[in-house]
Amino acid sequence: MLELKNIHAVICDNKKEILKDLNLTIGDGEVHAIMGPNGAGKSTLSKVIMGHYSYKITSGDIIFDGKNINDLETYKRARLGMFIAMQDPTVIDGVSSIEFLKEAISEKTGEKVNLYSFIKDIEKNIKDLNLRDDMIHRSVNSGFSGGEKKKNEVLQLKMLKPSFIILDELDSGLDVDSLRECCLNINNYLNENPKTSVLIITHYPKILSYIKPNYVHVLEDGKIVKTGSHELALFIEKNGYTGIKEMVEE
Amino acid sequence: MNNILSKNKEIIVDSSKTIYVSSSSDIRITNNSKLIIYSMLLNTSLNINVYLDGEKAEVELHLSTINYDDNNIEVNVYHNNKNTISNIFNHGVNAINNRLNFNINGYIPKESIKSICNQDNQIINIKNGKSTILPKLFIEQIDSLSSHSAYIGKFKDSLIFYLESRGISRINAYKLLIKSFLVPLEIEDESHEYLKNIDFLGGDLFE
Repeated sequence: MLELKNIHAVICDNKKEILKDLNLTIGDGEVHAIMGPNGAGKSTLSKVIMGHYSYKITSGDIIFDGKNINDLETYKRARLGMFIAMQDPTVIDGVSSIEFLKEAISEKTGEKVNLYSFIKDIEKNIKDLNLRDDMIHRSVNSGFSGGEKKKNEVLQLKMLKPSFIILDELDSGLDVDSLRECCLNINNYLNENPKTSVLIITHYPKILSYIKPNYVHVLEDGKIVKTGSHELALFIEKNGYTGIKEMVEE
Repeated sequence: MNNILSKNKEIIVDSSKTIYVSSSSDIRITNNSKLIIYSMLLNTSLNINVYLDGEKAEVELHLSTINYDDNNIEVNVYHNNKNTISNIFNHGVNAINNRLNFNINGYIPKESIKSICNQDNQIINIKNGKSTILPKLFIEQIDSLSSHSAYIGKFKDSLIFYLESRGISRINAYKLLIKSFLVPLEIEDESHEYLKNIDFLGGDLFE
């Protein structure tokens, strides 16, 4: 599914290197979690995978479904099936959520949206996520609470049907009920689409008790320093990242 | 009822209504009347003078323009009576390397107490156009409220990235943003003809 080979990436503005020889392989249907202290490069990693304008890959390869996508525009990556649920979803005033989603689905599939099935689908997903009915007619993320913004990301995920999902700190700014609802919806989606892979970026192991990872990686100073199972996340919760550092040094 | 004003015509408004203005106009609003004006322009210069003649006269102006050549937009709002209100929104898209000038003036003389005069001006340069905004408030009455804002620049990269991350191409991301910037949601259904002008913008503009 996704392979990151010896990735080095810098911030375009100041050439500061953030990712330093990072390697990661995510197979079909696998769930991986990346944990790490602030400034380790977790969000940079998610943005580099999606081709964000602020970062440049100086060496290494991103391979998605066997194809090198280093130079592929963001929208083409999305059309290949990649999706990022953003840490701080962008507000787009004046563009209604319904218009935005119709345009996105139409461009992704290359076909005109069937209005009947689209409305039916979206109504079901809004209900499943316990979102307000009128949110679809409002501007994208405008006036939404932090929880509504995150749920809107999950709504978009379910409507766009990606094969590879990045959850960039989905759990930040979410109350426990909303986090559970978001994760339940994602798990349902994964059950219906078992080949879909997920990369969860998080500070806290709570989300990993809902969406069970096959692997947990610790990112520090731009590279993966430790890989383990869900137990590793629990170890971090108990001992912090200093505990990991000591473990690595041993 | 909506009216389309012909060139340089003067209209006197004595009730609340919505009108569309496509050319230079003088508009007078009498007592207790509210006028909502939509002005959807394509590559043109224009001058609109609004006279709030009556007490509690009110105007809301939404002016949008797509610019290809050198053009000037001038709006003057005269608060000629007390308790008058103006809310002016001017949004321009300067598509290529030309000059788009907004000259927007609000006048509150001494006798027009408790009047409110607001203006919001924004120009998006798609390429490297030379745009200017002169937002001016001539306020002689201390018991009044007024505000103005001006922004000239490009769409934020974060907006484009968000749209692209959902599979929307760069050109269509720009078009969605231009549409939302120029056409208020409440008149979207009536603006199909105007929206076609956005569809005609060439893809090379956004590279």
